[in-house]
This record gives sequence, C-alpha cells and structure tokens, in this order.
Amino acid sequence: MSARADDSPAAVEAMVRVRGARKTFNVGSPEEVRPMQGIDLDIPAGQFVIVLGGNGSGKSTLLNGLAGTFRLDEGTIEIDGHDVTRWPEHRRASLVGRVFQNPFSGTAPMMTIAENFALAARRGRPRGLGWALNAPFRDELRDRVRGLRMGLEDRIDTAIGALSGGQRQALTLLMATWIEPRLLLLDEHTAALDPKSADQVIALTDEIVSSRRLTTLMVTHAMQQAVNLGDRILMMHRGNVLHDVSGPAKRRLRVDDLLARFEDVRRRELLDEGAAALLERSYV
Amino acid sequence: MNLLLGALTLGFILSLVGLGVWVSFRIFKVADITVDGSLTFGAAVTAALVVGNGTNPLAATLAGMLAGMLAGTVTGLLQTRFKIDPLLSGILVMTALYSVNLRVMGRSNVPFLGKPSLQTWCEELGRAVLGAPSVDVFGWPVAAGDLAVVTLAGLAAVLVGSVLWWFFRTDLGTAMRASGDNAQMIRALGADVERYRILGLALSNGLVALGGSLLAQYQGFADAQMGIGMVVWGLASVIIGEALTGAPSLGFSIVGTIMGSVFFRELVAIALGFGLNPNDLKLVTAAFVFAALVLPSLLGRGRAQEVRP
Ligand SMILES: Nc1ncnc2c1ncn2[C@@H]1O[C@H](COP(=O)(O)OP(=O)(O)OP(=O)(O)O)[C@@H](O)[C@H]1O
Ligand SMILES: [Mg+2]
Repeated sequence: MSARADDSPAAVEAMVRVRGARKTFNVGSPEEVRPMQGIDLDIPAGQFVIVLGGNGSGKSTLLNGLAGTFRLDEGTIEIDGHDVTRWPEHRRASLVGRVFQNPFSGTAPMMTIAENFALAARRGRPRGLGWALNAPFRDELRDRVRGLRMGLEDRIDTAIGALSGGQRQALTLLMATWIEPRLLLLDEHTAALDPKSADQVIALTDEIVSSRRLTTLMVTHAMQQAVNLGDRILMMHRGNVLHDVSGPAKRRLRVDDLLARFEDVRRRELLDEGAAALLERSYV
Repeated sequence: MNLLLGALTLGFILSLVGLGVWVSFRIFKVADITVDGSLTFGAAVTAALVVGNGTNPLAATLAGMLAGMLAGTVTGLLQTRFKIDPLLSGILVMTALYSVNLRVMGRSNVPFLGKPSLQTWCEELGRAVLGAPSVDVFGWPVAAGDLAVVTLAGLAAVLVGSVLWWFFRTDLGTAMRASGDNAQMIRALGADVERYRILGLALSNGLVALGGSLLAQYQGFADAQMGIGMVVWGLASVIIGEALTGAPSLGFSIVGTIMGSVFFRELVAIALGFGLNPNDLKLVTAAFVFAALVLPSLLGRGRAQEVRP
C-alpha cells in the first residue's frame, strides 16, 4: 500500500493507477502513431475490466504499457502501491501475470508441461540451482491440471508444443495465475481459438478471476463476452478511453448498447479531427 | 588399436567442445562461431601459463576455461546490449581472438616440451597404478600412460555431461532453456532474457575452451590455427548424437553429443587409416554436417523442429 499522505481513500485502494500516460511510436516518421494520449486510469483491487475498441485503438498498447514491454514517454504507472514506471518488463512480472493472443506466445513449445509450470511457479522470484521439478510439485500440478478437465494431467511430461491452441491457452492461464498476480492481463486470449475452445477458455477465465477476485484487464472483440463478464467496460478510441462504464450501468448494458456506441465512434471517424476533439471534450 | 585408442581419447576431449556447441546451438539456436576462437584461447592461455610461467597445470587449465567464458561473455554482450546479429557477433569475437591468441602465446605455436601438464600427470598416474609401462588389451600392447589418459578424458566428458544435465534441470537452467525457446514467455515470467543469454554463451565457450586446453595438453602444443573449423566439428557431434539417440530428452541429447564426438573421431581415424588425406578432413566434416542437416527433411521424416508463429 502506498503510504503517501495526499492519497484519497479511494486512490489508496486502487491496485492500478495510471496518470497521464503517453506513448508515441516511430516518432517523426510517416508511420508515427500515438496509441496512448494521456491516459488516466484507476482500477480498484479485485475489479474485472473488459477493454473494447476498434483495431489500432490502443488496447494492446495499454496492456503492454502496464506489463512494461515499453517505457512510457510521459506519465506514471503504479501497481499495488509500487511505482513501476521505470521497472523493466521482467521485474514487473513479480506483480503481473499475462496471457497473450497467440497461443504460441505464452508457452515454451520444446519444454514439457511440467517444466513450463515450473517456470511459472517462479514468476518474479529469484531462480537458483535447486531442482526445477520435484515430486510434490508434480502432484500439485496434476491436481490443478485435472481441474481443467482436458485430460492433460496424465501428459505433464509431453512437450507443450504438441498441444492444441485451446489447451495451451488454458494452461497459460493456469500458469499466469499459479502465483497470484496482483494484476492479470488478458489480450484477446481467445481470439485465435475455435469457438468451442474459446468458450472453454472464457469459462475458465471467469472461474479463476471471480473465485480469486483477481484484478484483471481483458481485451476482447466479442461483445457478448463484454456484456456477460466483468465489472467494468473501457472503450478505447485513438489512444484514449472514450467510455468507462461500471457498476449498475455496466450490468444493464446489452450488446445492442455497445454496438450503438461503436456506431457512434464510426460516425465520429467521418468528422474532421478538430470537430472530433471538440465533441470528445464535451462527450467524455 | 593405438590409433583407435587415440581417436577415443580425442573424441572424449572434443566432446567438451561438442557440449559447448550443443549449449549455443540447441539452447539458444545459434551456430556460435566464437567457438573457433575460444577453443584456441583456452589452449593458448593454458600453454602460456604452463610453459612461460610454470603454473600448476590444473590452475592453468581452469584459467583457460575462464578465458573462454570471458570470450563468450563478450559475444553475449554484443548480441544483447549492442543488438548485433548473433552470427556477426561470433565472427567479430573470433576475429579479435585471433590477435589476442597470438599475443597470449607470443608466437603462433607453443609446445609444452615435457613441462608438467595434465597429460604428463595422467601418464605418470597410469604407470604408477598399473605398475608397468604397458599392458595387454585384447592382445595388443597399450602404454599405461595412454590408458590412463583415455580413462580420465572419458571421466571428464562424463563429469561435464552430468553437470550440464543437472544444471539444465535446475530453476536457473530451465529458465535459460526457455529463454532460447520462447523469450517473450520467459520475460513475462520475470526472467532477464539478455542476462541468461550472456550467461549461456559464457558457459558454452567456457566448455569449448576447456576442451581446447585439454586438447593442447594432449597433443603437446597450442597452435594459433587449432580452432579453425571447430564449430562445424562441434555441430557434427551434436547432430550425430541426435541421430544415434533420437534425442527424446535432455539427457539423451547430452549423452548423444558425447557419443557423437567419439563416433565421429573413430570414423575419421579409420578413414585416415584407409588413406584419407588429412587436408581433406574439414571439407569432409562440412559436407557431413550439410548432409546431416539436409537429409532428414529430404527424407521427410525430420525431427519436428520448434513450432513458431
Ligand atoms: N511496439 C510498437 N511499435 C510501433 N507501433 C506500435 C507498437 N505497438 C503498437 N503500435 C501501433 O500502435 C497502434 C495501436 O496498436 P494496438 O496494438 O494497441 O491496437 P489494438 O487496440 O490492440 O488493436 P487490435 O484490435 O488490432 O489488436 C497501432 O497503430 C500499432 O501499429
Ligand atoms: Mg491488440
């Protein structure tokens, strides 16, 4: 917990605090993009946040910025009371668990399921010369993997690269939460899966996140998921948070409402930049 | 018989080089040509210390290994901190080492000239243990010294292989393997991938230099040219080893590399016995590695390599 005197009670409870975050990629080149244009964000501990937005609106950039894949140009990030603005990615891993969009990204394909979990079990902790695997760990692993009901508990010594995308995403989710993360980042982690596997992984996500009350940001393009899951919806547009809906308003939200908001964004796209900025100021 | 025994000894000694190459090639997926320089570096440092300084051979051997680790560290720094292409990093360090080695040795060839080395120690040990200058092995007279040398070289190979097997199953070693397999994943799990790469290349080249140091002591001299083509030779050991064992696991892969090294040396000894021109050896080795790399996929039953997005 932050001990700073000027913290308001609400802010002290925030697991994540982003202030004035800005990022420009490819500065000065014709491909210059500004996927973070002064983002302020407070996420209370235990909140499950759904992040929506069109392609290139800055959803992944927000998550990557929290995870530390790049440094902010401006602004600060606090996670669980630590100012992590200058922490490199591997250091932030002590606080952050991640699942990527690509099932290949979250696991080491040539290594066994058990070895992958041994790595996850030391997330953000020092790695020494003790055996990575031992009998008690294997037993615990089998138990937890059995909970997935994918029959993988008997295959913990096969290379994880031999599994299907859905199986790998489910395992990656289990790995990311093996040690409880202060913040869980899920970036379209079901987008590359077939519908059945996607449903399975979403159900698992809901189960893990709600039962352990993990502070979570989940990016998705599936409106139905956004409506069914989570406590809060952020809608991103051009590097800004355009809508922020939580509480009863979030629970009342239906797919049609979301689609209407997207349509609204699309119409604004047709306006010129100046008018859009004006509208945005009065809108947000 | 003595020819085959010599080949066996060489095979064991050079299996350390093979294991070093195995680390860079199989863990980090780079053919690290630093090897050509660091092998000579290890030999040069040991020879210079023993011949010029009268240093204890064991300490001199250790110093040779440390020299190799230093070379590997530099290559690692070029690859990570300076973002230089892995292949080019190796070429730069190998080239620089050529001058360094000449500096260390003071000339291009340093013979041990009967100075106490691990080789002479082993020979004395062999004579003392067996109590005779030579013994019969399957009806062939074999020098007691040679027998001791081959035994200890074999022990060294087994010892290094076991240490690697253990290391790559520890938390640190497992994370190092993952950093070569999927850097994004292990970074997200809190590992400083760049540090692991530097550490791994130091380990790899340390083993190579250890092999170089032992090789120099075995053949009785260090030479500025002795490292040429050694990375290809190490690759041959790794690949033959995988063919011999199928490399279903870490342990088999390590044992296979030692077997591959010995097997290939024996093949070479036999070929030389049948009149292969020693000058053609490197050509044959390179052709062999080429064939070993290409044939499996041509035959359509290649070991499934990593699956990458
Ligand atoms: N590391 C980077 N280097 C250069 N440009 C980047 C980088 N990361 C993101 N961008 C750019 O920033 C913009 C926002 O990208 P981002 O990945 O955040 O979008 P997104 O909202 O996740 O979109 P999608 O729905 O397609 O995943 C894009 O124009 C993208 O090309
Ligand atoms: Mg994205």
